[in-house]
Amino acid sequence: MPTMEEYARQPIAERVKRLERTADELAAAIKGQSATVLAKRPDEKNWAAVEVLCHLRDTEEGFGGRFQMLLVMDDPKLFGPDPDRWAVERQYLRNDAGESLAAFRKRRQDSLDTLRKLTPEQWKRGGIHPARGRITIEDFVTLMAWHDDNHLDQLKRALEGKA
Amino acid sequence: MAFAYYERLSRAQQKIYRDSDGVTELRLERPADLHPLVAALEAALGTETRAATQAATEALIHGLTEALGIPRVAVEVLTARPHAKWGELHGLYTVTAGRRPKIQLWMRTAKHKRVVAFRTFLRTLLHEVGHHLDYTLLRLPDSFHTEGFYKRESSLFYQLVPDQRRRSPVRAVKSMEEWAAAPVDERLTRLERTPSDLARLVRGHPEAVLSRRPGPDAWAAKEVVCHLRDAEEHLSGWIRMILAMDDPVLVQTGTADRWAEERQYARHHIGAAWDAFGRRRDETLELLRGLDATAWRRAGHHAHRGRVTVDDLVALMAWHDENHLDQVKRALEGRA
Repeated sequence: MPTMEEYARQPIAERVKRLERTADELAAAIKGQSATVLAKRPDEKNWAAVEVLCHLRDTEEGFGGRFQMLLVMDDPKLFGPDPDRWAVERQYLRNDAGESLAAFRKRRQDSLDTLRKLTPEQWKRGGIHPARGRITIEDFVTLMAWHDDNHLDQLKRALEGKA
Repeated sequence: MAFAYYERLSRAQQKIYRDSDGVTELRLERPADLHPLVAALEAALGTETRAATQAATEALIHGLTEALGIPRVAVEVLTARPHAKWGELHGLYTVTAGRRPKIQLWMRTAKHKRVVAFRTFLRTLLHEVGHHLDYTLLRLPDSFHTEGFYKRESSLFYQLVPDQRRRSPVRAVKSMEEWAAAPVDERLTRLERTPSDLARLVRGHPEAVLSRRPGPDAWAAKEVVCHLRDAEEHLSGWIRMILAMDDPVLVQTGTADRWAEERQYARHHIGAAWDAFGRRRDETLELLRGLDATAWRRAGHHAHRGRVTVDDLVALMAWHDENHLDQVKRALEGRA
């Protein structure tokens, strides 16, 4: 699994390809799994597979919002999301895994549609992240590729009952 | 109209239900005598100390039992709310044989340990007193959550806090323009009241009714509560952006319908959604109360709405609350 730094060194097209594959890889991972297994947490603190899918869905929406902001504002301040709060408030454990994945797939498609239209200058547009400092759209794509890998791995572990 | 669970009650219980439902008001002979105790409770809760709140709560409940000529009830104010099956427990009335009945009230939210809003606390207090009144004043063998029960609770509330009705009529839905013209204080009062108004509307309804869509494209009560929760996060996010940046662009990542579908509102638990909305709302109010006049005039830019100030957003939220409260009411009655 490449690190953030390794992804950052990859050509943009490679990173985008990683983003394109994720929905299918998630679908393959959850295929044939029962709702009970999909909603089973490996331990008290670690997310079940369905929670990982909901997290990817909601984070993708967040990335889309950030792209919108970065494209129309000069170096806006970015606020960090609160994924754990979302998991509780949006009741991830009550969600259906298949529907969550379908929603993620649509959101991801929206992101890819936006990215494919960017000019080289637009890839360099950025915002100020509270923890990461200035972060460009290109940096976000690096982050998304790494984030996908991590959560795909987490989802597979959760299905095996591992934290 | 009886709540749906009426059908599941025994005939004896149905009789009690009907008796409870038939009494819609409790008049206090001299409500003004209790107003200082209400003000003292608000002040005590404001100190955020349990001991002061305990003393003031006891004094008010004692005043109420005296005024209504019923036996006293033991009172216990506790700090952080425990989690119940459907969210947080706000209050509890228990009767144990051979002991004085007891009312327990929690003054802080479970997760963030914040002191609950005064009107929410008073509402809960009156709700639990309502159960005591069912047994002691109305002499009912059981205490059901009937429409009459909630109306009695409201009748006591409005006698104890009479300015509630003068400030904003309960059922009249104002236009956006009217809300924009309303004093800030009135708008904040609207925002503060919404979680308890919502709870009063949905309490006692079975899951089937709460999840029932009145039309194919009209949300069920449960979906409206989820929408209010997510709209609160979204709109307060805009306010935070406006406060943090000069003229930010207010972006929107989805329509309300897309959120309802993607986030699968129909599968959510309404109590947990309500609880999350209440917490988000408390945070918004805390933020708004700390703003000075300049901050209220700060603005962002929205693609459709144009220039939007913090003041405009609070008017929008008040209007939005009232509309969705009305929608919940209609959904519960099966009307789109």
